Amino acid sequence: MRPFKLLDPRSLDEACQMLDRYGEDVKLMSGGTAILILLRQRVFSKPYFINLKAVPGLDGIRDEPGTGLRIGALATLRAVETSPIVRQRAPLITETFRLVANVRVRNSGTLGGNLSHGDYRLDPPAPLLVLGAKAVAVSSRGRNTYELKEFFRGLFETALQPDEILTEVVVPDAPPKAGTAYFKYTSLSETDWPCLGVAALVTPSDGGGTCGELRVAVTSVAERPMLLEHLGPLARGKRLTERLLEELGDAAAERVDPIADARGSEWYKKEMVRVFVRRAVREAARRAGLAAG
Amino acid sequence: MEAMERQIRLTVNGQEHELTIRDNTLLLWLLRDDLKLVGTREGCGTGVCGACTVLLDGRPVNSCLTLAAQAAGHHVTTIEGLATNGRLHPVQEAYIEERGFQCAFCTSGFIMMTKALLDEIPNPSEEEVREYLSENICRCAGYPDILRAVQNASRKLAARGR
Repeated sequence: MRPFKLLDPRSLDEACQMLDRYGEDVKLMSGGTAILILLRQRVFSKPYFINLKAVPGLDGIRDEPGTGLRIGALATLRAVETSPIVRQRAPLITETFRLVANVRVRNSGTLGGNLSHGDYRLDPPAPLLVLGAKAVAVSSRGRNTYELKEFFRGLFETALQPDEILTEVVVPDAPPKAGTAYFKYTSLSETDWPCLGVAALVTPSDGGGTCGELRVAVTSVAERPMLLEHLGPLARGKRLTERLLEELGDAAAERVDPIADARGSEWYKKEMVRVFVRRAVREAARRAGLAAG
Repeated sequence: MEAMERQIRLTVNGQEHELTIRDNTLLLWLLRDDLKLVGTREGCGTGVCGACTVLLDGRPVNSCLTLAAQAAGHHVTTIEGLATNGRLHPVQEAYIEERGFQCAFCTSGFIMMTKALLDEIPNPSEEEVREYLSENICRCAGYPDILRAVQNASRKLAARGR
């Protein structure tokens, strides 16, 4: 590993000043699990890193009535996974986070680090996308809020500007009676990175029996995690029959442009999108009390 | 460029150390090279095999992906810290009784994960054990014996009243 200087800011302001001062020569580090692999493999290096763990108060998890869950960027994945308030307000997050990597990685890796890394093979973006989460960033210029659906821009690329620090993720309450589900599919060993992940949220319509709102997000397939907003209108007001589930799977597969990797070819991933969108929507509908299929 | 070294205080197995380290020193290297605690092993170096597992403030982490600088001020427990007064920890005894190892390269990691698991869930179901240890890799594939060792350790700790 190449040598570097680790800077320890005592406040967020100081961290922002360090970003301004060192510019291209610096990167942020939180839990380090992802970046240390790249450093060890020498595919990435910087002369300076800013140790965000030195800044106190960025790892809180709380529920703010009217706003939703507010999760500090430095909260570890494991802290989010085991938080009773998260389980109560957003069980989809709990369900997904317990499937990320392993306990050790989840004890070190942070939510903010996970999202800002911009790797396409991550599970957490999918549930956060269907829940309509927002990412809050600060810089010496001020505060900025990104809709998560506009946050992921490409392979290892997010909307965060070089001088910005992701400080918090805000997760609005799910609509009443919503059923949610996350399906992670690993095509190699069970504990491998996902070949794909699908999160779905379904609400029953007011009269019951038919689908009200449908939200679906896919991750690990294409170069960025995506909210598939064209699926909602296809299902609204309709019974979630097996035929409609198939149409939804097909419509999802049409929209994604898979990255072929060790976990599947482009064709294979498209086929798996078809299958797992169907399964995730069916399960979310079942949990919403809607008969599906 | 500023100095790329720092002084840290680190408590390892109950003993406080004052150390001078380079900023890019991994906790694994510090334990093995500086403190000569070589029971912690390096397997994959990417966080997926579990051979380098240590407890940081009681929680299992990959020491191969943890900066020593970020561990400063915290408590680290390694395999060498489990025995007390020359007597092995019940988890270690259970691994011996059940022959929960063959070549033993992965064993420190498995034992540290088992300790963390049983601290968290004293009487885990088989599924909970499998899930918790799912990314600890034993290339000798002694998994059935390891599973029995975890169950044995759980009984021993219960009998001891923790």
